Amino acid sequence: MSRLWHPRRDRRRHLGLRARAVIAFGVGAALVSGALALISFTVVRQDLLSQRQASSLRQAYANARLVKAKLDGQPTDAADVLSTLAPPSGVRSFLNVRGVWFSASASVGGTPATPKLLRTVLAGNVAEQRVIVDGNPTIVVGIPFPSLGAAYIEEHSLADIQGTLNILAEVLAITAVATTLGGALVGLWASGRLVRPLTDVAQVAKDIAGGTLDRRLPSDPDLEPLVTSFNGMVTNLQDRIEREERFASDVSHELRSPLSTINASVELLGSYRDLLPEEGKASVDTLGCEVDRFSGMVQDLLEMSRIDASVPDLHMSELPLDELVLRTVAAHDATIPVRISPEATGLHTVGDKRRLQRVIANLLDNADIHAGGAVLVTLECHDGLSTLAVEDEGPGIPLTDRAHIFDRFFRGAASGRRGSTSGTGLGLALVAEHVHAHDGTVSVEDRAGGGSRFVVVLPVTLP
Amino acid sequence: MSSPRVLFIEDDVNLSNMLAISLRQEGYTVDEAASGEDGLDTFSRNGADVVIVDVRLPGIDGFEVTRELRRRSQVPITMVTACDDSHDVVAGLEAGADDYVAKPVGAKELAARIRALLRRTSAAPLPETILRFGDLEIHQEAGSVFLSGQEIVLTRTEFRVLCELAATPGWVVSRSQLLERVWDYDFFGDERLVDTHIGRLRAKIEPDRSSPELIVTVRGLGYKLQP
Repeated sequence: MSRLWHPRRDRRRHLGLRARAVIAFGVGAALVSGALALISFTVVRQDLLSQRQASSLRQAYANARLVKAKLDGQPTDAADVLSTLAPPSGVRSFLNVRGVWFSASASVGGTPATPKLLRTVLAGNVAEQRVIVDGNPTIVVGIPFPSLGAAYIEEHSLADIQGTLNILAEVLAITAVATTLGGALVGLWASGRLVRPLTDVAQVAKDIAGGTLDRRLPSDPDLEPLVTSFNGMVTNLQDRIEREERFASDVSHELRSPLSTINASVELLGSYRDLLPEEGKASVDTLGCEVDRFSGMVQDLLEMSRIDASVPDLHMSELPLDELVLRTVAAHDATIPVRISPEATGLHTVGDKRRLQRVIANLLDNADIHAGGAVLVTLECHDGLSTLAVEDEGPGIPLTDRAHIFDRFFRGAASGRRGSTSGTGLGLALVAEHVHAHDGTVSVEDRAGGGSRFVVVLPVTLP
Repeated sequence: MSSPRVLFIEDDVNLSNMLAISLRQEGYTVDEAASGEDGLDTFSRNGADVVIVDVRLPGIDGFEVTRELRRRSQVPITMVTACDDSHDVVAGLEAGADDYVAKPVGAKELAARIRALLRRTSAAPLPETILRFGDLEIHQEAGSVFLSGQEIVLTRTEFRVLCELAATPGWVVSRSQLLERVWDYDFFGDERLVDTHIGRLRAKIEPDRSSPELIVTVRGLGYKLQP
């Protein structure tokens, strides 16, 4: 049962506020204008008919008196008497004398009055009835001449009134449709006015999400609670972000200074390496490796905290992508083959050189740590997209891990024991962050022939 | 020739000690100062061939020290920043620093930076001793520049950037070429160094900085000096 209702609920939810307002205004206008049209039509019709009825009755009486006077005076032919009446168009007169019908024109056949009306009239009562004759509404009036045993019947066609009413109905229908459309337009306009503050809110929220944290909503008495809490929220958010940014930069200074000292000391110690016994040399070497690794970790952590704390500040410049790949790989390990496709040769794009360099370096580091090193790096370019791939011949990434491998501190089941060769846990997460900052995508797939293939797709932006 | 004198302004005494020992091993004479005020005093007293200044210092900070040093002298200045990606870099370069190193900084890297700053001659051969570009006159051997007969004071790095552009007037010199020739950086050097130095040069030699006529930016390629 509830399943059946779902589509309807969905449709309601998908119908926008403005669409609903337009529909409501339209339906409201249709109902009001329809009711007004109906009432006007009924009243006018009733009024026209009763006027016509009254006049028909008056005319019938006058004619009946005339006819009776003529019939009373001398016994003439009833048809001749009727022909002296010269009735206006739409009016026909009949006379029933002892069951025989007379009419002004010979062409008219049949009985004009219903048996019921005739009975009533012949019983000596004036009668009146509305019937349809030849498809036209018609008033039939019957006046008895009891002394003569006759009945005078007059037919008044209402065709002209019907025509008037038809025109009226058309005009009213057009008016109702116009009013409905007008209502919908008013709804559109009014909902636009109503939604405008919300549009402002949306624009400000968008600006804030985009990093313009000093935007605030203007005050509006009708939206006071919203404006107050929204602005308060943004102020808190801004404070928090600034605090975090400060924290990141404070941490950066605090951590990097002692790290610099350690680095400098180890370097100095390294210059006396030859004077040390074997154990001392091993110790200095380990110290050097660990200091390098620790520096890398601090750098990764700080980079990540900077990305978290604010909109990352990109330093975009035009750069030769192929040269960047070649140089970065060469700086890492000159023995790794690099294949640049002809389309990607001399490819220039706009990007942040340092970040793109980190992307490549981190992928190479990742291959070193988990897969015994990269075996091939390729760069291709198709349809405005550059595709960089780093391939290794390691154990590959299980399907279940692929969705999480770019998460921070993700350690797959196969990542092994922690040791001096393990990474910081942020390398691939930073790759994803940097690639997304360039509107690109990064993914991992199986390499043909075993191992993994990390693929970075970046849009090529021409300067 | 006596050993070059390095003034090292750093509040972290341990770091300053370690780096000073390494630099002395490399043959430099090193003065250490633990604060900005101390550093400026030492500079007035002893002078220096290169100043290394940490941007975060108690009291007057590294930016202010750099500005004050620039008011007094054209000595090459290298900043030590905590972040290579922060606004500190641009702020320091705009204050007048010639180069920067990011922490964690090692003695080898620092020594290499100092060597690059002290290098006197340009890698490119200089065809003439006096070059003229409109109202601009470059006396390459004397290391001086005149604009409409008035001497313009340039830092050594600014002068070298100008000479690199003047060596091939009308030809575009890319940012990475300038980084390599002036600062000894490889492909991965920070291009903001070039842009801030070009900005400073323009402020000194262009009649209207906002519409440069002498040093022209060629979008996507680099800079050139209009012949």
